Amino acid sequence: MKTITLTLKKFSSIALEFDELKPDDIYTWSKKDFEKYQVPVGNTRFPLSNYFDIEVEGEAEGPEDVKMILDGDMGRVKYIGCGMTAGEIIVNGDADLHVGAEMEGGSIKINGNAESYVGREMRGGNIEVMGDVKEYCGTSYIGEWRGMSGGVIKVHGNAGKQLADCMSGGEIYVDGSCDILAGIHMTKGYIEIGGDVTRWPGGQMKNGNIVIKGKLSSLLEGFNPDGIIENPDIDGKQLTGKYIKYIGDIGVNGKGTLWLNAEKNRDLL
Amino acid sequence: MEYILKNGIVYDPTNNVTGEKKDVMIKDGKIVGNVSSDAKVLDVTDKLVMAAGVDVHAHIAGPKLCVGRLYRPEDERRGVVAKTDITRAETGFSIPSCSATGYRYSRMGYGTVTEAAVPPLEAKHTHEEIMSIPNIDVTPLLLFGNNWFVLQYVKEGNLEDLAAFVAAWLKIAKCYGMKVVNPCGSEAWGWGMNVHGVDDPAPYWDVTGRDVVRALTQVNEMLGLPHSMHVHPNDLGHPGNYQTTIDTMDAVKDIEKNPSVIRNQTLHCTHLQFHSYGGTSWRDANSGAEPVADYINKNKHVTCDIGQITLDETTTMTADAPMEYDLYKLSGLKWANKDIELETAAGLIPIIYSPKAPVNSLQWAIGLELFLMINDPWQVVLTTDSPNAGPFIRYPRIISWLMSSDRRTEMLEGEVHKWASKRTALPTLDRVYDWNEIATVTRSAPAKILGLEDRGHLGVGANADVAVYDLEPENFDATKAANAAVIEDVLGRALYTIKDGDVVVKDGKISKVVKSRHLWSNVQGFEEQEKKVLENIMPMFNRYYTVKFENYKVHDHYIDPSIEFKIDASK
Repeated sequence: MKTITLTLKKFSSIALEFDELKPDDIYTWSKKDFEKYQVPVGNTRFPLSNYFDIEVEGEAEGPEDVKMILDGDMGRVKYIGCGMTAGEIIVNGDADLHVGAEMEGGSIKINGNAESYVGREMRGGNIEVMGDVKEYCGTSYIGEWRGMSGGVIKVHGNAGKQLADCMSGGEIYVDGSCDILAGIHMTKGYIEIGGDVTRWPGGQMKNGNIVIKGKLSSLLEGFNPDGIIENPDIDGKQLTGKYIKYIGDIGVNGKGTLWLNAEKNRDLL
Repeated sequence: MEYILKNGIVYDPTNNVTGEKKDVMIKDGKIVGNVSSDAKVLDVTDKLVMAAGVDVHAHIAGPKLCVGRLYRPEDERRGVVAKTDITRAETGFSIPSCSATGYRYSRMGYGTVTEAAVPPLEAKHTHEEIMSIPNIDVTPLLLFGNNWFVLQYVKEGNLEDLAAFVAAWLKIAKCYGMKVVNPCGSEAWGWGMNVHGVDDPAPYWDVTGRDVVRALTQVNEMLGLPHSMHVHPNDLGHPGNYQTTIDTMDAVKDIEKNPSVIRNQTLHCTHLQFHSYGGTSWRDANSGAEPVADYINKNKHVTCDIGQITLDETTTMTADAPMEYDLYKLSGLKWANKDIELETAAGLIPIIYSPKAPVNSLQWAIGLELFLMINDPWQVVLTTDSPNAGPFIRYPRIISWLMSSDRRTEMLEGEVHKWASKRTALPTLDRVYDWNEIATVTRSAPAKILGLEDRGHLGVGANADVAVYDLEPENFDATKAANAAVIEDVLGRALYTIKDGDVVVKDGKISKVVKSRHLWSNVQGFEEQEKKVLENIMPMFNRYYTVKFENYKVHDHYIDPSIEFKIDASK
């Protein structure tokens, strides 16, 4: 096991980019290699050691043996774990855009809040965010119609707008509340939201499941009720309590399922 | 600057040079017979030497490209290359950034590219984009097939005024030749319709595709434009459309070629692959390549380019707007439509040509069938209708398929859907192209078809547009399936590309960036008629166009540098 600890010593208001520092590429690196490395900052590069104290302990046979610990406020560090296939990254602080984007395996834990595009186009692996995430968590990228297709994202706080846009696989769990258009354009996969949702979950969804355990303020017209089900079993996930089942979005001939907690959404009964 | 390319193996079909070891000498941007002792020697001993490539049909500049880039940001992410001291950053795969377009053609050893569809209203924009594309000369073709004025003249049978209109509009838009796309179909799209076959009239105008193609071909020959009528026939992409294609070609058979031009054809039929389908629907679709190829083999008034499917995720963009809508309905992805006022309409969608998909595999096989069934390589040009059937950077891959029937068999047996074998004759075709034929379909034939005497060959006096590839044709078996990857690699990164005597690519890397020239046709001898025609159409122009005529014209500073072709229409 190789433990790489980067402790922030100088905060840069211009974002640093970390997509070259994924376990797949750095498992052979020694402390010297990190000190030599120039990190992209805006349109140029500066030595990584300008911004971090670097500690490297142990040896790694492959990326799966790597544990990267990023201590401090990474609120201006983008692309943490972007494209990684194995290994572990722990951020003790906030993280900037694109955490775990295009990730294929391994795990990332953010002990803080994350900016937008967490787990964008993710294909595998695990991301856990202890705080909130902003918009487009688990989505596709601009223009792209193929979004998250595998892996698991757990958000213990709240999620922003357009969670899981174009999702075609994998699972997303949000403990807190969620803003508009969760699961828009989704074709497959599972989304579970513990808290309240503002509006329009599942817009233009073709398939997949969205579970809302809290109160939904505004449901889209394209969803038809399909009965009330007690303790439903959804893709092997056992929920407790009564749920109102909806099928939609009929605007795109969708066969997706939206499950609303019946207790919290009595107005829809 | 003088250069001597020493001891290369030269293929120059125009001048009947077939793999001879000889020197190519360059002085002041031209090929010459002698150079002084000061000439810089480039040792290319035993390497493959050809004239720089000429592309007869691609979409590289203009409003469709811009819409595509805006509409497909996901494509821009593919093919990102960082800037260097010489080059700008590159982006995009099927719709590359302007500078990337120039660099990529240049790296493949190409020197001239045709932008195949310029709406007159957007000609200014097209020329602006050409100004941003380096290292290739561009021959823009102007769209006429759905233009209201053209339809009016055709309806009246007024060829004199139509000729004057074409002459005037080529000057206004600073374009090289004429293009027709789905004649009457894109106009019908204004009513939410399309036309089917060459004899289906456009609403209101009551003229047919046949009328338009015939009239414009006659005008083309009256004026003696260097390039022939360039047609994208009706019914693109519809099963059973091969008959429409043959009808289109046959419609102009009796029209006499202008004696002053160097080309042999009166009609160039573009992206023929999309127009050679049999069957009645996509369920029973099969190849219609045989009758189409047969017609071309028997008729010298037609040339074609293929529009070969490359089995990539790409973008389709065409002035055949109703067809794009049909495709959008099939794919369910996203769609952009562009209406160009009185002139045409365009559509655009992303498309994934998958080797696993029956239809795409069939299309792929039909393209190759046409390449192999048309006997005379001077009647065929290698294109992908970039980016419609695939991006132009795949030309080397297509060459590897043409040169090796073993590679094709390998693909038919293991890589593409069985429709490619079952519904076409491709498995029975074991013809392979040699280097001379490759040089013909990528250089000599397109130059001749475009009516360009100054390029596409290495004779004395030609532009010094030369490509050298890191491959020794005498010690290389291109027919081996295993060598396909080598061909693709080597032809994709020229050892040298020389443009007008400047070495613009060295060892597969851009070594110099030069401005692209705009080639345009200036018809002489119709000035009086042009004036009269302009006076006549001005009321309609002022009534329906959203721009003033003063802002419509392409001014000279949009085409710097340019090559003007003065055409004496009285000949």
